Order: sequence, then C-alpha cells, then structure tokens
Amino acid sequence: MDSYNKIIRLSNTLYNDGLRRAGVRDLSGAAESLRKSLRLYKANIPARNLLGLVYFEMGEVVDALSEWVISRSLQPEDNPAEQYLEAIQSNRSRLSSVNQTIKKYNQALLYCQQNSRDLAIIQLKKILASNPGLIKGHQLLALLYMQENKYELAKRELVAAAKIDNSNITTLRYLQEVDQHLQKGASSGKSSHRKKENTASYQSGNDVIIQPTNFKDTSPVMTILNLVIGVVIGILITWFLITPNVRQSAISDARKAELEANNELTSRTQEIKGLEQEIEKLNKQIKQMEGKSDDSQKIIDNYEQLLAVYEAFSQQNIQAAGDSIGNVDQNLLGTQAKAMYNTLSAQVNEQYIAAVYQQAEQDYNSRKFQEAVTGLEKVVQVEEDYQDGYAVYYLAQSYRQIGDAENAKKYYQRMVELHPGTQRARASQRYLDELNQQP
Amino acid sequence: MIDFEEELKKFKPSLEVEEAEDAIYDRDLTDMTDIMQEILREARQHR
Repeated sequence: MDSYNKIIRLSNTLYNDGLRRAGVRDLSGAAESLRKSLRLYKANIPARNLLGLVYFEMGEVVDALSEWVISRSLQPEDNPAEQYLEAIQSNRSRLSSVNQTIKKYNQALLYCQQNSRDLAIIQLKKILASNPGLIKGHQLLALLYMQENKYELAKRELVAAAKIDNSNITTLRYLQEVDQHLQKGASSGKSSHRKKENTASYQSGNDVIIQPTNFKDTSPVMTILNLVIGVVIGILITWFLITPNVRQSAISDARKAELEANNELTSRTQEIKGLEQEIEKLNKQIKQMEGKSDDSQKIIDNYEQLLAVYEAFSQQNIQAAGDSIGNVDQNLLGTQAKAMYNTLSAQVNEQYIAAVYQQAEQDYNSRKFQEAVTGLEKVVQVEEDYQDGYAVYYLAQSYRQIGDAENAKKYYQRMVELHPGTQRARASQRYLDELNQQP
Repeated sequence: MIDFEEELKKFKPSLEVEEAEDAIYDRDLTDMTDIMQEILREARQHR
C-alpha cells in the first residue's frame, strides 16, 4: 500500500501547491494543480472544495457547484462544501442572477460569432456589472475592444481580469498585445497625443465619460463674439447657398422668356413669309391680268387691221389693202375671222402682187432699179416663182444694176435652180460666174 | 499578432445551472487510485 500512500501524498502536495497559488491569486495555476491533485485522488475533499472556490472566484459558478456537489457526495459528513452549497441555494435570487449572467455570456459569444460586435460589447458590459469576477467575460470584452482598436479600454478589462487571476495565460498574452499597440500609438505622433491630453476620461458605472479638459464657461465677450460669428456664418450661407439659387432662378426665368420670345419671333416670321408669298401670288395674278389685257389689245388691233384690209379691198384700193394685210396676225383671229382672212388674203394678194409686179416691171424697164427692187421683193416674198420666175430674174438683175452683188448672186442662183435649161437660167449662170470672178 | 477569429474559437459557452446535473453525472471521476486498484486486481487474477 506504499504506492497508494504515495499517490495520496502526491495529491496532497499538489493540493498544497494549489492552495499556495490561490493565496497569491494565481487562480489558473491553482486550478491546474488542484485538477492534477484530483486526478490522482478524487476523494481529496480539501482539493475539490478549493477547486470549487477557485472556480467560483473566476466566475465559473456552475463548475464550482459541480465540484462541491461531487465533494458532498464523496463525503456527506463534515464537509465545508455543504456550507458553500447552502450559501448559494439559500439565496435564490442570487442563483437566478448568476444563471442569467451565464446565459447572457453565451448570448454575447453568439453575437461575436455572428459578427455583431456592438451587441456583444453591450451584453458583456451588463454581465460584468453583475458578475465582475467572470474572467473570460473580461477577456472576451478585451478581445472585442482590441479588434476595434480600442486598446485603452481593452487594457482596462485585462487589468481587471489580472486582478482576479494574475497568471492567466490568455490575460497575459492579450495584455502584451495591447501594450505593444499602446506603445506604437504613443510614438505615432504628437498631434494625436496632444488630442488625447485635451480630454479627460473617467468611469461612471459601466460607461467611460470623456470630456475636454479646457472646457470654459462663456463670458459676455465670448457671447458677443459667438453672435458675430453666427451672423457671419449666416451671411456666408446666404451668399454661397441662397444667392446662387436666386441667380439660378432668375437665369432660368430669363431663359424661359427668351425661349418664348424666340417662339413668337419664329411664328411672326412664318406669318410674314406667308404674307409675302400671298403678295407674290397676287402680283403674278396682276401681271397675268395685265398680260391678258395686252393680248386683248393686240387682238383688238389685229381685228382693226383686218377691217382696214376689208375696207380698202371693198373700195378697190388694192395697194392699201395689200400693205395692211401684212400687218394682220392670223394666229390672233377666231375661226370665222381666219376663214374670212384667208379668202380676203387670197383675193388681195393676187391683185396686189399683180399690181405691184406691174409697177415694178415698169420701174425695171425705166431703169428705176431701186424702186424695182422694192416692188419685186414684195412679190417674191409672197410668191417666189411669180410669172415663171421672171420676178426673181428681174430682182436679181435690179440688184446687179444697183451694185448689190450678194443679193444679185442669191436670186441668180434661185433662177438657175427654179428653171434650169432656160435662156434666163443660162444668162443667170453667166452673171453668177462673172460676179464670182469679181474681187 | 493575435488572430481575432482564432481567439474567438477558444471561448466556449459556459454551462448553465440547469445543465450542471447532467455534467456531474457525465463526468469521468476515475483517478490514479482507481487505476492502481484495477492494475492490482488484474495482477491477482493473472496469478
């Protein structure tokens, strides 16, 4: 049984170690030693009761209760665990509060996992207000603060945790991290440092109050200065915000008016164009009417010429009738008037040409070649081959006699063409040759 | 440098009071003395 006693002694040694550590608030170390002690000898009642107390101090109430319940079951008589259990169970509200704290902690942990850090922080603050000994609550809150770069707040939680359990590995690790960041922050710039110096923070319950250190009551001079600053700000707001709006509105109205004026101008221009087109149309109508009027006058004059021809013919004044009939334009005559003109023209021309030819022949024979040319031109124009070409022949001869070689050649040529093989044609050809040889 | 997510995984939910009874019953209370007695018993049986 030496081995058995050795195990008991070893368990007691570990219990003593745990007790010593608990005495210096090395709760993590104490718990570790006590758990080892109980693994060697589960009926080490002082060790189990102390482990319960250590758990209770660390805020782990259910673990404490478990140890004490087991302790009581192992040694029902003369066991301090009985007192501990009675102390807790007698105060039901305290037990309920502890249980609520545990539930809230679990809820806060869930918030963290759901990335709702703000809610988790609020929840943990409430938990630690009612159960300030919950080390893992302080640690979790510190972790959340660190994640949000609130290292000072994190350090405060970790210091609180370290006061309960001064050798907790997690607490020490977090503290090291926080200290590193705070040292970096301290050396990162004077401006931020000064800014921090300008504020003072203090704890009110669970909240940290931060207030400026240079806060001063306003004096009458400051009040007036503030009023002046307010007026200046008001003027600046009016100048930079209201005036541009007013200007914009005025510009907008002016643009609208300009647009309306342009529209009005466009419609007026259209009306003017329409009226100008109407004027142009009316002018054309006037010109057409004037043209018609001229045509009417011409028709009237033409009919008067026709009447003059008829009158001269009826009076046997063939010369006058023949002179006038050339002035009648048969295109301006009506159907009946045109038939009358044709009848009259045939009778007048026949007699007129005969008379003119007779006179021209006399002039030719009298060597009045100029007069003969005048009369024969009229005859040839009416009937080129009059008197079997004698009119043309005499005309050519008359032109030659007056020295008009060009016209003479023209009518000699017509004579040769109209009556080839005749004596007059041969004579005409001879004269043509002579005239062509002349320089 | 602390990894927030990794650290968060180390935090486990606490047992609630209602769960304490089950936790006590489920706990393995075997200690070294139990193991030693078991060893001695087995040794006697082998003899």
